[in-house]
Amino acid sequence: MLQVTSTSAAETALPLRFTWLSEVVAVFVKDWRCEFRTRYALNTLALFAFTTMVVVSISLGPIGIDRARGTKVLPVLLWVILLFSVAAGLPRAFVQEEESQTATALRLSATPSALFCGKLLYCLTLVGALELLVTPVFVTLMNLEVVSPALLAGTLAAGGYGLAVGSTLVAAIIAQARTKGTLFSVLAFPVLLPLLLLVVELTFNAVAGGGGGVALSQLLLYDASVTVAGLMLFPVVWNP
Amino acid sequence: MKTISAWLLWLWVSLVIVGAFYYAPLAEGFQGGSSRILFFHVPMAWASFAGFIAAAVWSVRYLMTRDLRHDRSAYVAVQLGLVFGVLATITGAIWARIEWGAYWNWDPRQTSILISLLFYGAYLALRGAVEDPEKRARLSAAYAILGLVVTPFLYWIMPRLTFSLHPEPVVNAEGKPKMQSEILQVLMASGIGFTALFFWLHNLQTRIQALAERKSAAREQGYGS
Amino acid sequence: MPNTTLRFENLRRRFGRLSVLEGVSGEVAPGQALLVTGPNGSGKSTLLRCLAGLLSPEKGTIEYREDEKVLETEERRRRVGYVAPDLALYSELTVAENLEFFARIRRTGPERGFEVLDRLGLPTDRMAGALSSGMRQRLRWAWALLHRPQVLLLDEPFQNLDAGGEQGTRALLLEHLDRGGLAVVANPSNLEIDRVAGHLDLGR
Repeated sequence: MLQVTSTSAAETALPLRFTWLSEVVAVFVKDWRCEFRTRYALNTLALFAFTTMVVVSISLGPIGIDRARGTKVLPVLLWVILLFSVAAGLPRAFVQEEESQTATALRLSATPSALFCGKLLYCLTLVGALELLVTPVFVTLMNLEVVSPALLAGTLAAGGYGLAVGSTLVAAIIAQARTKGTLFSVLAFPVLLPLLLLVVELTFNAVAGGGGGVALSQLLLYDASVTVAGLMLFPVVWNP
Repeated sequence: MKTISAWLLWLWVSLVIVGAFYYAPLAEGFQGGSSRILFFHVPMAWASFAGFIAAAVWSVRYLMTRDLRHDRSAYVAVQLGLVFGVLATITGAIWARIEWGAYWNWDPRQTSILISLLFYGAYLALRGAVEDPEKRARLSAAYAILGLVVTPFLYWIMPRLTFSLHPEPVVNAEGKPKMQSEILQVLMASGIGFTALFFWLHNLQTRIQALAERKSAAREQGYGS
Repeated sequence: MPNTTLRFENLRRRFGRLSVLEGVSGEVAPGQALLVTGPNGSGKSTLLRCLAGLLSPEKGTIEYREDEKVLETEERRRRVGYVAPDLALYSELTVAENLEFFARIRRTGPERGFEVLDRLGLPTDRMAGALSSGMRQRLRWAWALLHRPQVLLLDEPFQNLDAGGEQGTRALLLEHLDRGGLAVVANPSNLEIDRVAGHLDLGR
């Protein structure tokens, strides 16, 4: 699926000077350029994440949560915050294209696989930025002691990737439907549920002490499976 | 031929019901006659999952042929999967209440069925949100396949979680190593019966759906009322 | 330019209860333009969208051929240029950034796009969102011609253009046809050209 396409000059009148990879980068750069000029996604993600964290922190009480219970509950809360923030800010990657009617131009010019990977890269960086923002604040706010920071970092990386790839594909699907707002959550959560179970378990291990174990390999397998599914299904979703 | 197979199905399922109550003995370790739920609850769960897989298979066929009939088949499979799934959940909850004292225990199988219900609901919600038939078929086919890719992970993850998150192990009837042969026979017969029922209903419902579409198409062109 | 021909047969497309295209057929040879006319709602835009690959017809076939070989979807995309009223580019990017982006996406250079803009008189440093409707139409033309397509699908191509703009784009169309390209034009509004493949009137 990931192939660099080049066509011989005899086949077409236009010179194919660039590769598939440069197309991916172009989509990525374009999305970030537009994002920097409007700040819409970053603002949505950050605002949502911080509001949720404040609510959680206040609800747990001024003293916080005792260590025993905290170890069990806080990993779940962290990922719920990340998941809901992603649901609030990520679908825009595709929904915006449809709503501003630039999708037509994209459909006529972009290679579907390159478009998907470009959007995926963009969503990945958004999720990464979100995690970088949220995790330190969360750990500090909840007085969470992390036994294995390396495992936590790995979980955030692999889990964040899973969030991004699943969300990108589902966003592409719902962008062409009506009632896009609620529909994303309804469609995405069952798909992301295995991911959620795995990352919560791994985060719990990172906090309480315990290895990655089989959960880590299952997480990586999940990431790979959804990536392959995305690459194969996106052209179907995108083109009539 | 259709009438004969319908009567055959009726006969089979009736025999299963009779067998469930009179032929098969009560399973050990269960309260009173509640173990008889086994013969209905388990096959319904199987039928529900069969619906999921059938929907995915038909979705693939649609994407390969772009024949809207396959899309219709996938849609009906999900509808039936939802119905059987809800019934399986309810019968399972009743049984759980009798056996374990609570309707819901986050037992792996209960949770799996619940999650597949979420998938069915999501699929139907997606279909409801797209008007154009071709687009609707395309998008829901993609989602059904995505669902199929993702659900095996649930089965791999689930068993581990009940040990780490829930202290009391929850015993499930299917885990019993020894099942009396009569019970097994009726269970298998019921499984066959429910699967046959699923496909019979599927056939019926796709034909109803097709007729409904033809009727509304004819109405547009000004024929009939 | 390679010899690209277009033939479509028995196209049918409905929207819900409304039958927009019914049994529509046509054929266009290199160097010719097919003029599509008809009142509002007669399916001109729908036809062009189907030909562009943005919409799939329920029935019928659309065939682009090049030297007797039928073109696949990817190849079609590279050879088709499309102008339509609802086609939008990125309003947060400048005109130049838009052209450069789409050129990259099409894996080519933006020179041709800038050339067209130069001829049509559109400055390239303005935000695409800040353009007037006439300027936006010129940008659409530049975008459509960016990759030097063999096929031009034009839906209301002279909409919102002043006399100068109309003259410039007409000239571009004629040059395209001269070079052996083909075109399908909807709502031609007094387009007088002699290289007409036919008139397709979708009115009833």
